[in-house]
Amino acid sequence: MENTRYSSGPLGNLRVLELSDVIGEWCGKLMGDLGADVVKVEPPGGAGERRIGPFYQDAPHPDRSLHFWHYNTSKRGLTLNLESEEGRRILRDLAATADVLLETYAPGYLPSLGLGYQDLRRLNPGLVMCSLTPFGQTGPWSQYRGTDLVHMAAGGQMASSGYNEEDVPDPPPIAPGGGNAWHMGSHYAYIAIMAAVCMRDVTGEGQYIDASVHSSCALTTEGAIPIYLFTKQVVRRNTGRHHSVGPSPRSQFLCSDGRYINFGALRLTADRLKVWADWMDMHDVEHDLDDPKYQEPGAVQEYQPHIMELVERFFGSVPAEVAYHEGQERGFLLGAVRSPEDTVEDPHWHDRDMFVEVEHPELGESFTYPGGSSIYPKSPWVISRRAPLVGEHNEEVLCGELGLSREDLVVLAEAGVV
Amino acid sequence: MADRRPLEGIRILDFTWVRSGPWATRWLAILGADIVKVEWPEPALGMFTGRLVSGNERTTPAGITPGINSGGDYSDTNPMKRSVTISARTEKGLGLLKRLVGMSDVVIENFSTGVLDSWGLGYDEMTRIKPDIVYVSMAGLGQTGRNKHYNTMGPIVQALSGLTFTSGLPDAPPAGWGWSYMDNTGGMYAVMCVLTALHHRNATGEGQWVDMSQVAAGITLTGPSILDKTVNGRNSRREYFPPGNRAVWPGGPMLNSYRGPSAAPHNSYRTKGGGYNDWCVITCLTEAEWRALVEVMGSPAWANEDRFATVTDRIRNQDELDGNIEQWTLTLEKYELAAVCQSSGVPAAPVQSNEDRVEHDPQLREQGMYTTVHHPVIGEHLTQNTPFFFSESPTSVEKSGPLCGENNMEVLVDMLGLTPQEIREGYENGTFWPKSIPLEPYLIDALEAKEAATA
Repeated sequence: MENTRYSSGPLGNLRVLELSDVIGEWCGKLMGDLGADVVKVEPPGGAGERRIGPFYQDAPHPDRSLHFWHYNTSKRGLTLNLESEEGRRILRDLAATADVLLETYAPGYLPSLGLGYQDLRRLNPGLVMCSLTPFGQTGPWSQYRGTDLVHMAAGGQMASSGYNEEDVPDPPPIAPGGGNAWHMGSHYAYIAIMAAVCMRDVTGEGQYIDASVHSSCALTTEGAIPIYLFTKQVVRRNTGRHHSVGPSPRSQFLCSDGRYINFGALRLTADRLKVWADWMDMHDVEHDLDDPKYQEPGAVQEYQPHIMELVERFFGSVPAEVAYHEGQERGFLLGAVRSPEDTVEDPHWHDRDMFVEVEHPELGESFTYPGGSSIYPKSPWVISRRAPLVGEHNEEVLCGELGLSREDLVVLAEAGVV
Repeated sequence: MADRRPLEGIRILDFTWVRSGPWATRWLAILGADIVKVEWPEPALGMFTGRLVSGNERTTPAGITPGINSGGDYSDTNPMKRSVTISARTEKGLGLLKRLVGMSDVVIENFSTGVLDSWGLGYDEMTRIKPDIVYVSMAGLGQTGRNKHYNTMGPIVQALSGLTFTSGLPDAPPAGWGWSYMDNTGGMYAVMCVLTALHHRNATGEGQWVDMSQVAAGITLTGPSILDKTVNGRNSRREYFPPGNRAVWPGGPMLNSYRGPSAAPHNSYRTKGGGYNDWCVITCLTEAEWRALVEVMGSPAWANEDRFATVTDRIRNQDELDGNIEQWTLTLEKYELAAVCQSSGVPAAPVQSNEDRVEHDPQLREQGMYTTVHHPVIGEHLTQNTPFFFSESPTSVEKSGPLCGENNMEVLVDMLGLTPQEIREGYENGTFWPKSIPLEPYLIDALEAKEAATA
């Protein structure tokens, strides 16, 4: 259906219905920022993610969750009670003209309401419907509950991340923060949906996709699974670097400002050691790297413990950002361990318009958001609007598009449908 | 229709190497695109393919001689792709690559900025050959911006994007990510770019060069933390952050830590056996889940004390709370523990190692996550499958990664119309195989078979 009124992004001709909680809102946001008309269908009173902090000025309110703000840009908001017949009728009307429906309810819930794929495809054979759930639609764990931590444990993230004993005694496995289980699931849901949409571009036919967050996480540990599949070895955790089967060299170093830098020191070769020595000279850090012995074959391996000491001493005398830029300019593969907010200050991202101002007319303010990670020159990635307020677009969608009268809307609200 | 993979009919010219790019085209291959992977098995030319980097010899199965075709990791990352060996640094090779651009829908690469251009195969040249080409590049810092010439690998992408910082215990160095999360995720973003731009091309007839930055992709994954700074002025560089596996670290202020709702219990606990991976996690995000956990634990007296009555009480007294819970978790094996929690509605899971996922995870087994393919050198092997099922399309992995140059005859002769004699010359003069490496017997066999067929 034609719906290009908000954006000329690459998905500008798609209408997406998002019946999603925290699991899939990132997938919907990516589609919205890339131009799709994403209608987020929330229960009356608003989605549960609206209760996740932090909040604007630390004042909890369903329209002021910064979590909700980030994950729901470029969407319109509609509240609908799917437990009511009237609510289900409205959803069917919306699904009849939608291109994509993304849902994250427990397996079996939508079919029990007569809103399963088999019901909806009768109204719209071109519909691409994706159920993204914690463990998928079938299997012994399909009814298990997922949280970010649960998925990071079951998916293998924790078994790979943590500390060496010498850095933290008796260390637990660590689940990296940020809610990344939902990102992993949403990324796979996005590619599945878009592959189905690209097929529909050719055939006109839609289809149903059963996607699992657990499986997505289990696929996101890089070499861990191949190491087991091909060598039957179990990986162990290291501080600030890759899991490994045996001991591995440190790659995270403390800098003079108390921040850390990531550097694969073992990639140093005899040639690079000379550049490294000059760099140490520039900062007046003592070393013996001018000794010809370091240029002999195999010397870098032979003197590795000493070279590691020098690397450690050097970084300890330079601030992390200085080491990052000077090192990269010298061809060393390294990066400062930044906090998320540190990135906002980096002029490189301003050159790329990575951070954008998003207007919040309800507050009379605008705020800096992370924008697109990719530049699409012909069809821009744009945050077209801030996240919707609770039920903000009920009238626009129900009256403007489905043809209900404002009197109908009042009755529906009174009946708890919207 | 039911046998049609979603991307059937789409051809992708694949110049990716190492990890993030091949992970991207893995998914495009599984989803049905024809991946023509251009390889060169010689590191010196700066175009080698992941066949020779670490990880490959690490995952050569016991009893197999390490070589360019022995890597299990390579096969797992490159299933269902076609491999052709063409040197871009020869005039003939470059001419053929240009013709392949003309026969493709998408070109994808993950080199540092400017490499393709330096070969004479930049975007302008591509559009001259194929005006609606979709080109996705995935350099760490992108193709524009003052530091575009910086180089990255997964751990550096994670460091620069803020992801490393958000992992670990307070008052300890960052624990970071124990693998290249952003090689996986950078790859996923490239797939998203390809499919999004393809749909745009289908709708408008217009191609484009999508400039994906892997670090930028990582930054977008830290949104709430950034907004807490830009909206509220709060730094995540603060005491008590990151809070390990907890939602809030006890003793500090009650601030959200950007993983979801603030709650307790929310932690990892040791389980029976006491082995390296004998851990589970338990999270109670609601009062009902906490009450259910108390029931599951057999309503111990401590759990009904006032100091654990409300969520704020439990967060404040979390050390005692977690200690008490662990006394209980130590009595159960981790799978058993997850099962008794989950059957009562308490979100819990075993910490699963790589071995656990392959051998002991009943859900992954039921869903066919590890499936058998045949590889000419490694033999039968298990490979990672997919996290989704399509109602109208097969999406299961059905073929191993290719041998290096396995599809040379199909691509060079059948598609590009070269004669077997030209291939033989190219194998000798460095166009289709490096002079520094002995030609693989299977390449000679395929060539001779082709010669016989065309004679």
